[in-house]
Amino acid sequence: MKPIDIRPEKLALEMADYSRKLGIGVENLLHADAVETGVTPKQAVYREDKLTLYRYPGADNIRQNPVPLLIVYALVNRPYLTDIQEDRSTVRNLLAEAQDVYLIDWGYPDGADCCLTLDDYINGYIDRCVDVVRKQSGQEKINILGICQGGAFSLCYTSLHQEKVKNLITMVTPVDFQTPDNLLSAWVQSIDIDLLVDTLGNVPGELLNWTFLSLKPFSLTGQKYVNMVDLLEDEAKLKNFLRMEKWIFDSPDQAGESFRQFIKDFFQNNGLINGGIRLGERLVDLKNITCPVLNVYAEQDHLVPPDASRALSGLTGTTDYSEVAFPGGHIGIYVSGKAQKTIPPAIGRWLNAR
Amino acid sequence: MSDRGFWDDNLQALQQNYWESWSRISRKALGTETPLQKNPWEMAQEHWWQAVSPAAPEIAKAFMGRMMDQGKQFFRMAELFAGSQQPGDAAPDWTEVLDRISASLGAAGGEGAASESSERLYKMMGFWVLPLDTWQRMASLLSILPGDLFRNVLQNGAESATERLFSVPGLGYSQQEQAHLQELMRLIRGYQRALHEYSQFFSGIGSESVERLRETFRRKAVNGEVTDSARTLYDTWVRTCEAVYGEHVMTPDFAGVNGQLVNAAMAVKHHVGMMVDEKLGSLNLPTRRELRTLQSRIQENRRENKRLRSELEVLKEQVANLTSVKSVRRAVPAGTRRKTVPKQKSGVES
Repeated sequence: MKPIDIRPEKLALEMADYSRKLGIGVENLLHADAVETGVTPKQAVYREDKLTLYRYPGADNIRQNPVPLLIVYALVNRPYLTDIQEDRSTVRNLLAEAQDVYLIDWGYPDGADCCLTLDDYINGYIDRCVDVVRKQSGQEKINILGICQGGAFSLCYTSLHQEKVKNLITMVTPVDFQTPDNLLSAWVQSIDIDLLVDTLGNVPGELLNWTFLSLKPFSLTGQKYVNMVDLLEDEAKLKNFLRMEKWIFDSPDQAGESFRQFIKDFFQNNGLINGGIRLGERLVDLKNITCPVLNVYAEQDHLVPPDASRALSGLTGTTDYSEVAFPGGHIGIYVSGKAQKTIPPAIGRWLNAR
Repeated sequence: MSDRGFWDDNLQALQQNYWESWSRISRKALGTETPLQKNPWEMAQEHWWQAVSPAAPEIAKAFMGRMMDQGKQFFRMAELFAGSQQPGDAAPDWTEVLDRISASLGAAGGEGAASESSERLYKMMGFWVLPLDTWQRMASLLSILPGDLFRNVLQNGAESATERLFSVPGLGYSQQEQAHLQELMRLIRGYQRALHEYSQFFSGIGSESVERLRETFRRKAVNGEVTDSARTLYDTWVRTCEAVYGEHVMTPDFAGVNGQLVNAAMAVKHHVGMMVDEKLGSLNLPTRRELRTLQSRIQENRRENKRLRSELEVLKEQVANLTSVKSVRRAVPAGTRRKTVPKQKSGVES
């Protein structure tokens, strides 16, 4: 028996069907409204340079946790992933869990921001945002939720400003940047970061996109679009796809000096494990973190392998360390239906208990 | 769905066109005739897209463009295996098709990314060059000129003559400029070599994927399974390629090849930037180096400014607290002052 037997007549039908779906898809696209993201109402409470600090007002009928929760997102991609649509919003579900949610939107750095260092981001921007939230809430200490690279920043911040942090949550956060299954780390070891930053100034979002797409090029640049053809007839699914597509390619440029330091200190020198990360005048030491820590990671994360996150266990000085494993991927932990039902409630319960 | 307008009206014509042209397509898709041309399905699709795309939003254009590109890829792939010239005829031997693909990939890898045959392969086997294509799109975005400019700057043959030309030591007034150009040529050659190695790496992955696919289908044959749709074939192909790719890109070899490509591209760009800076300097125009110095100084000033402002805020609060303590002192009757003031004072100090 032949294992491949594609008859021309069947192939022609498949082609026609593919074309028909594309045709319907265009009709749907032409009638689709603008793709909206960041759906939960929010107020800008602080602005500085390109940064905006938002607060999400909670529902009147929910008695909020008096200690606010500040979300520190990564510099890579945009933070509206956490609030991408009504039924897939980590922010909305945290509000439902009685959290008083703030979020830092880093904006889009341009050439004028190329000299921003990690010290500027962590001891500067984050610290000032924390102070604003503390002042607004009247709390001496606040809760911080760091996401991915933002989680690494939050670890550094807490180690240097423990007196301002009540509880720390890290989500899909790399800690050990050199686990054997970390593809990004393996690749970046051979890159001459000084030459790259000296040449480009800021690192273009396109370069980062290329890197991320190269992790699974056949699926992410090919098959994904073929699969999508099957969903084009469903307007809701099409809009969901477009939202994600918008987010994936909405990659801000990276301030050159911060990128240089992040790649060298975190990826190439594995500084959270080996030490040596200096921010301003001070060295980051995770043992300075004594507040409760919740570490949330994704079991099928192809960007931040689970072992890279789990490495946090035992590195801090806390006696209250917990982990939550999500059976999904790096993005699914924010946008999947399963994640919506499990992750924000787990975070809410953990915070409310502390 | 029949009331959705435009597409259904064209569907039958498209199918008929497809049937009429099937024989021609299959021969050309197999590579037995040159050059490879677009098939009627692709042409009809492109014609249709040209008609409707102006009305589509930007994000939809990019998104639909990708879907159409991938549709072409996976039908091209299926055509290779369908291969029949008339309905009812036998399909070609699948193992021969895989042999042919493997041979094409090997040939393209040996000849380098810039050759004519590899360009042809790009169209026919576009699927395997997706990672390379993504790089070239990115390189294009980073370049001031469209396309991956340096990919084809020095072709084989011209390269040795050019290198000889630029190997002549610089003399006299233009010595430095000659040295810069020589260095640029050397860096461009370095980039081409890095790109060639990167392409070869993917060519190797392609060949291994073909062999893996052959194994997969042999197993299917033993189990009596038949792949009878373009989509199933495509999905199997993706899974196979992704698995082989995943194994190879974890190796230090790939990290090296990948690093060399990025570093070589940056070296060219950096050198060009330096040459442009020299020209700007000679015209008394601001250079990138000067701008960078200014950016660095401004950032230092801003950092200092923010630190001072922050300290000022703290001082203001302390002064305000001291002022309020004083006014409390004044407001408190003399007889009770000794009891209340120390309490307020300690609050300020903390």
